[in-house]
Amino acid sequence: MALNESQSVNPALVVDDVVKRFGRGDEVITAVDHMSFDVAQGEFVSVIGPSGCGKSTLFNIIGGLLSDYEGAVKIGEERISAPHPAVGMVFQEESTFPWRTVIDNVAFPLELQGVGKSERMDRAHHFIDMVGLASFEKAFPSQLSGGMRQRVSIARTLVSQPKILLMDEPFAALDEQTRLLLGDKITQIQQELNQTTLLITHNLTEAVQLSDRIVVMTYRPGRVKRIVRIDLPRPRTSDVVGSDAFGHYVAEIWNDLREEASRGMADSESAASRRAAHG
Amino acid sequence: MAAAGKMSLASGAPAQRDVIVLRLLVALVIFGAWEAVSRSGLFYGEVIPSLTRIWTSLIKLLGDGVFYRNLQVTTFETVVALAIGAGCGIAVGIGLGANRFLMRAFEPYVYYLSPTPRIILFPVMIMWFGVGPSSKIALGALSAFFAIALSTAAGMRQIDPVLIRVGRSFRASLWQMTLKIYLPAMRVPILNGLRLGMGTAIITVLLGETKLSNQGLGYMIMQVYTRFDMPGLYALLIVVFLLAGAVNALIGHFARDGA
Amino acid sequence: MAEKSGPSFLRRNGPELFGALSLLAAVLVFEALVRSGIVNRFVIPPPSDIVLAFERVIVEENILGRFRDTAVEMVIAGFAAVGVGVPIGAFLYRSALWRRAMEDWIGALAAAPIVLAFPLFLVLFGRSPKTIIVMGFVHGLAPIILKMVEGLASTRPVLINVGRSLKMTSSQMFWKILFPSALPVIFTGIRLSWTFVLITIVGVEYLINLGGLGQLINELAERYDLPGTYAGICFVVLVSVLFFVILERVESWLQPGR
Repeated sequence: MALNESQSVNPALVVDDVVKRFGRGDEVITAVDHMSFDVAQGEFVSVIGPSGCGKSTLFNIIGGLLSDYEGAVKIGEERISAPHPAVGMVFQEESTFPWRTVIDNVAFPLELQGVGKSERMDRAHHFIDMVGLASFEKAFPSQLSGGMRQRVSIARTLVSQPKILLMDEPFAALDEQTRLLLGDKITQIQQELNQTTLLITHNLTEAVQLSDRIVVMTYRPGRVKRIVRIDLPRPRTSDVVGSDAFGHYVAEIWNDLREEASRGMADSESAASRRAAHG
Repeated sequence: MAAAGKMSLASGAPAQRDVIVLRLLVALVIFGAWEAVSRSGLFYGEVIPSLTRIWTSLIKLLGDGVFYRNLQVTTFETVVALAIGAGCGIAVGIGLGANRFLMRAFEPYVYYLSPTPRIILFPVMIMWFGVGPSSKIALGALSAFFAIALSTAAGMRQIDPVLIRVGRSFRASLWQMTLKIYLPAMRVPILNGLRLGMGTAIITVLLGETKLSNQGLGYMIMQVYTRFDMPGLYALLIVVFLLAGAVNALIGHFARDGA
Repeated sequence: MAEKSGPSFLRRNGPELFGALSLLAAVLVFEALVRSGIVNRFVIPPPSDIVLAFERVIVEENILGRFRDTAVEMVIAGFAAVGVGVPIGAFLYRSALWRRAMEDWIGALAAAPIVLAFPLFLVLFGRSPKTIIVMGFVHGLAPIILKMVEGLASTRPVLINVGRSLKMTSSQMFWKILFPSALPVIFTGIRLSWTFVLITIVGVEYLINLGGLGQLINELAERYDLPGTYAGICFVVLVSVLFFVILERVESWLQPGR
């Protein structure tokens, strides 16, 4: 425990000097610039940064959906260049299959692996229960609320028992109250399974509420600005949001983030005025 | 007056009962007018036969084994035509939908050939496949192909990209992606394509039969026409329209529910 | 924004060129197959013969006259469908009751294989262009009615409120707000309708061996003039594609900004 902020013993996931550029010629955008950090077994790490800082690019690289990058994302000794069985992804967008019931959605990864029907249903049932949707197994996604659908997606990812749970702003489309309550659910599940988790987010309260450590990113190019350890007691619930310590962490990270966010805002405003001038 | 105006604004949709009454009235007026014209003798002889005679013909037709034998032939030709047209159409549609290069290279041809009169290809089909059922099947398959290929390609392009990313994140194979993501996500557009394709396949198969054939409902229509059996012709056309409408409604029903 | 004058014509239109070249290649392959005798030339004539037959068909078969016959039938049937369909659609839009009662029926009419009833129309109207025109008209009617209603009904409520606030009369409302706002959708209806009219008219001409281009194909086929039949079919397909492209251009020109 008493180690350097950015390093752990025997980490589950290592991000080592990762660089990703888009475009060519003089219009190159460096989305991710020499980022390095790691995630220990059972640890909950958040990556936070303003919109457009390259968080989603990082998510796609770690998930193996973007294979063309420099540096290395490693699980054990293996460099990730395609979706890896140890990584389970939860997407920001609505991603349940509208033509499948809740239980069939959750059983989907097991179906791909060729797990037999009865075992498939048992395991899916277990995780649906865990996210608190036991009475909705036969429902179609269109009959559920946005928060419930996102829980279906999480259960679907958990059912394949990934070593690392990788989530890209899974609560971005939800309202604040739902978000806090879902945060509780995530904390509870994470502790129950001792689930190694990496969360990509732009939401400060969410990151502090859930994380053991927070990686703060800079705006363009996306670099690691700082890594903050959150020493709030566990088990945690959303009650922690009211505590002084919580407020202290939020203020501290906002201090780092404000500068980046206002650079991002200035950037998008000048882009808009350029468009308006040309249009 | 003002109150009535407000009422109709507030209630919006007319009552179901009124709709049914109006439909009955319209049907009654049509049938009444038909019967009146038929009895007036305005048209030459048999051209507008009385409703009772059409009804008698209809009953006779439905009790006749010849009708069912011909229905069987036409059904067989249409089903095989649709199977071939749909198989090729879905395969080509997936290719055009999945690949931008193929889309730009070949989709304009499919798109612009789709609204051309297909029946004029019948002479060519006869040269290639003979005068038997195969030429009707070929014409029907060709007609069905276009609608199905186009709606499959469009359906493929409108699949939510995040669903494809989900499949990739679980490392689904190409086969699994096709079976468990692409096809279910395209169910509605494919079924709509099948509905349109089925419609044109039925029409072209039947038209082919009227032009050159010795069996099938189209052939039967020509026989009744040559015999100048007008009540029989009306009865046969009514049955064909109802059957085509029923098939259309059935596929439409599958395309609507769920999804 | 000015595009960078980088990629050449070849690079920009690569896929389209590839499509056209593979079509040409297919034609050449057929030519080779037929000439080498692998494919019977009494099933598929060599493409070069078909090209040569074009001249013969145009000169000897009076293809332009036939084209004119078909065009006249189409113009009459097409404009009759618009003339009848637009008022019916406007009426259905005005009366919610009639609309609810009849819209499904008209939809069923649009999907019904009416062209099969050509023997019936032959009896009713005789073996004359009248039959062909009436059949074209009947096929072209339903799409216009349906799209007219849809177009008027899709007028944005705020535009209607603008009209109300200006105290427009109902005829001003119709001609200055509802109709212009519905016009693009109505033209979609006209495009669908006239496409049906074309298909029906050429098809019926072929089936009953009367009139313009459809009959030409029937005659050539019955004479067993293979290259001629293929050339005639190509000509009709080209005419239909051209017709369709023109309708599409006019439609997109009527819908700026879409």
